[in-house]
Amino acid sequence: MKIIGLIIAVLTGILLIYATVDFPPWADPGSPASTYLSPHYIEKTMEETSVPNIVTAVLADYRGFDTMFETTVIFAAGVACFFILRTFKRKEPEEIFYRHTLTGMTIRVKNSGKVRQDLDEFERIDAMWTPHYLIVKTVARLLVPFIQLFGLYVIAHGHHSPGGGFQGGVILGASIILLAISHDMRTALGRMREKTTALLCTTGVLIYAGAGALCLLLGLNFLDYGALASILYTDPVTARSHGILIVEIGVGLAVMSAMIWIYSNVSSGGKYDEGL
Amino acid sequence: MDIIVILLIICGLIFFTGGTVGLLRFPDFYSRLHPAGKLDTMGSLFIMIGLALFNLHHFSMGNLLTSLKLILIVVFVFMASPTAIHAIVDAGVRAGLRPWKKGDKRR
Repeated sequence: MKIIGLIIAVLTGILLIYATVDFPPWADPGSPASTYLSPHYIEKTMEETSVPNIVTAVLADYRGFDTMFETTVIFAAGVACFFILRTFKRKEPEEIFYRHTLTGMTIRVKNSGKVRQDLDEFERIDAMWTPHYLIVKTVARLLVPFIQLFGLYVIAHGHHSPGGGFQGGVILGASIILLAISHDMRTALGRMREKTTALLCTTGVLIYAGAGALCLLLGLNFLDYGALASILYTDPVTARSHGILIVEIGVGLAVMSAMIWIYSNVSSGGKYDEGL
Repeated sequence: MDIIVILLIICGLIFFTGGTVGLLRFPDFYSRLHPAGKLDTMGSLFIMIGLALFNLHHFSMGNLLTSLKLILIVVFVFMASPTAIHAIVDAGVRAGLRPWKKGDKRR
């Protein structure tokens, strides 16, 4: 089985390298992309989509189909990590450690006993030596809201400045991952459960594909946001700008939750305990 | 105005140079992290203030907003950079790395 996989990989690689021979030479001014495609984007983007940032317009509008499957690839990466790593059979350890947060002492409870749940002073930890970083925890908590605000700004401002769904989604995901690193994974999961993560990941891809399908239903091509004009009560050009925003939100949701999903599966080995 | 900006940026560059020299020359892990954490933070403070002042050359509300954003970068660097260094040093202590003493070899 491994040999067959190797042969297929090598053959695909040879095929891809063979196909590159047909490409126009590097930075050839006479190539089709440089003669009419790029000038069209540069000259017409503003009047066709009313988006000042040409990169965003090309990414989410002109080549929206490509970006949709990029989002799907990220979603697939998250799902693959989940299916490969996640273990559902939970083996309760014989000893459970708790930290008394006021004094910093560690208590060991044997024979699968537990500390009462309503005591706030005790914090569950996984190993005897788990450190308690007051400074790191406080600063991380202080920074997380600003990081999330910046992530939302990057998503919403993708029309005018560098940014967009992918970058903003990664920043939003990093804020939750920072919480998981500085505290422990239980805290981060308390903020964002595994089910929420999975649901948001699928919702993001659904928003993107749904925006495309809505255009199809309204009588234009797939992902031709001009069709949304009748729903949004605007002219088709502004509707394309708004359509890009809708799609960016979908991308942001999918990327954010895929990042969190991958991190929590990989760092805890699928057990969803304390993590790193 | 220009003179103040130049002075501030030169000040920042001096701090950055000191940080780099310290990073290269100090003998062990802990003492190398010391310039990395402190001098870089201070250097970025001076350079960002210099750039914010330079940006206010033609005063307008838009320029003021940009300058405030530059100052905001300093605020976040001031919070994040020393914390990161603190966490790295703490990891070193917990992993059992012994500090350098006089007479030891460079590590």
